[in-house]
Amino acid sequence: MTLTATSFDWVRALVHRESAIVLQPGKEYLVEARLLPIARQRGIADVSTFVESVRSRPDTDSMRCIVEALTTNETSWFRDGDPFTALTSTVMPALLAARGPNERLQIWSAACSSGQEAYTIAMLLVDSMPSATTRVSITATDLSREMVARTKAGRFSQLEVNRGLPAPMLVRHFTRAGNEWEVAPALRRMVTATECNLAAPLPRMGPFDVVYLRNVLIYFDLPTKQVILRRVRELMRPDGWLFLGAAETTLGVDDSWERVVVGRSSAYRPIKGK
Amino acid sequence: MTELHDTGERRRTSDTPPSITDLIDEETVRSIVQEAWSALIGEDELLVPLPGGLPENAVSSWVHVAGPWNGIVVLTCGRSTAEQLSRELLKEHAPPVIEDEDIEDALGELANVVGGNVKAVLPGPSALGLPEVGSAPVAGSDTRRVDLLWRGQSLTISVQGSAGAPLDQ
Amino acid sequence: MRALVIDDSRVMRRIVAGILEDLGYEVQQAGHGREGLDVLNGGWVPELACVDWNMPVMDGLQFVSAVRSNPAWRQVTIMMVTSESEHGQIVRALAAGAHEYVIKPFTADAIRDKLALLGLLPEEVVL
Repeated sequence: MTLTATSFDWVRALVHRESAIVLQPGKEYLVEARLLPIARQRGIADVSTFVESVRSRPDTDSMRCIVEALTTNETSWFRDGDPFTALTSTVMPALLAARGPNERLQIWSAACSSGQEAYTIAMLLVDSMPSATTRVSITATDLSREMVARTKAGRFSQLEVNRGLPAPMLVRHFTRAGNEWEVAPALRRMVTATECNLAAPLPRMGPFDVVYLRNVLIYFDLPTKQVILRRVRELMRPDGWLFLGAAETTLGVDDSWERVVVGRSSAYRPIKGK
Repeated sequence: MTELHDTGERRRTSDTPPSITDLIDEETVRSIVQEAWSALIGEDELLVPLPGGLPENAVSSWVHVAGPWNGIVVLTCGRSTAEQLSRELLKEHAPPVIEDEDIEDALGELANVVGGNVKAVLPGPSALGLPEVGSAPVAGSDTRRVDLLWRGQSLTISVQGSAGAPLDQ
Repeated sequence: MRALVIDDSRVMRRIVAGILEDLGYEVQQAGHGREGLDVLNGGWVPELACVDWNMPVMDGLQFVSAVRSNPAWRQVTIMMVTSESEHGQIVRALAAGAHEYVIKPFTADAIRDKLALLGLLPEEVVL
């Protein structure tokens, strides 16, 4: 069943109210594509039935999922730049001051997909704090073996580098490899990619000083979100920093995190003793 | 596998311009065209690597590449395919009636996009010419040609070295 | 906000202009660099110029240099939108004074992402 006008209008109004993002008429396909995984996860075969069920019996969890699914960008370098600006402006200086001069800093890009987030972090560190880069290692993990392989290869298509990667950084850190672009060896050496299923017990890793877990929790139900946040916390240093997607929060999910505003972004830090 | 021995017979590069089939493979050409279609025509517009046979009234657009490698990148398809491509490129900005000028312009721009990306794979630096539209220049022996089906209609992309055939005819 | 779209393909001009108009931009179009300079000389100085590279009369690189040589046009952010996609060409365009570079083929999202980086995306985003 295709999305009805009533369902689309309701989703439009909801998304606009919650996020100030306008879905234009004609973007029904976007609603269908983004909401289908959520509908299926709930055992509903099509988007219209899912939307109608939420419309007739609104619940905050489903409404939040809809808004998140429609406002979440696929990974695209610096497109959602604030969590990266926060890294060099606040987080790294704080960590470098707190750690000994020879202590290593570990950053985790969880659900790294093809590695854009991990390399974005690497580029940023090389460009704005080159002296610290030898002390930093970046762990990139993904559920998919293919994505881990892509991250290791560090090769991106023309369409991928066109999305939110500043041109000066493209020319500084990439070379052409046939029809693709390949990230510089120095950056590839900073990133270690491995398979990891966030919904299962996590491998021995870390301890991490900074974790990027963006646009991942939206795909899980509440109990799974709680388990994931607890396991992530166990792999973090007590004074570590966690970044979630712009539409995600620990509030109402796990009360052992403190939300702190960093520039135009928010980070979450473990609360001592919880 | 036979091992290649250096026979001592060497040619200066100026004597033998590189052959296009040594410089670019079918898969690279296909991925360039597919990316152009996915971005400009539509995300789900798959190009199927099958020869289909071009209609009588086929039109071509092409751009020249001048550098270490010299030649043209040619896009050829039927007239009605060209019209549909123009409409899909413009989407909601398409006028009710697509004029001939728009079709030629759209086809030329597609050749420019594909040609620019083909050029970037070839040895450089090279210059890219402005698109031309008309009957396809005859392809010589030095040609890398890819046949594709878009919505069941055929289109061909060929990268033609100027060593293979005279370009201006 | 205002944007000048310079491309010798009128189909491509309409595509780029359409994306920018959807974002709330007021757009003027020009078919080559000289026509683009005429618009600026006429007193219509936009926040953004999207410029193709290979064009007749005056190409995009010459346009970038011309704009950068006039301090009165310092506020114009220049984004190349072109199928020229070698590493060296992008370096040349940036060195001449372009701020950003979009490789053709591009999607509307790619243009929006670049505008976000440049701080030229209107607050209310239209998907």
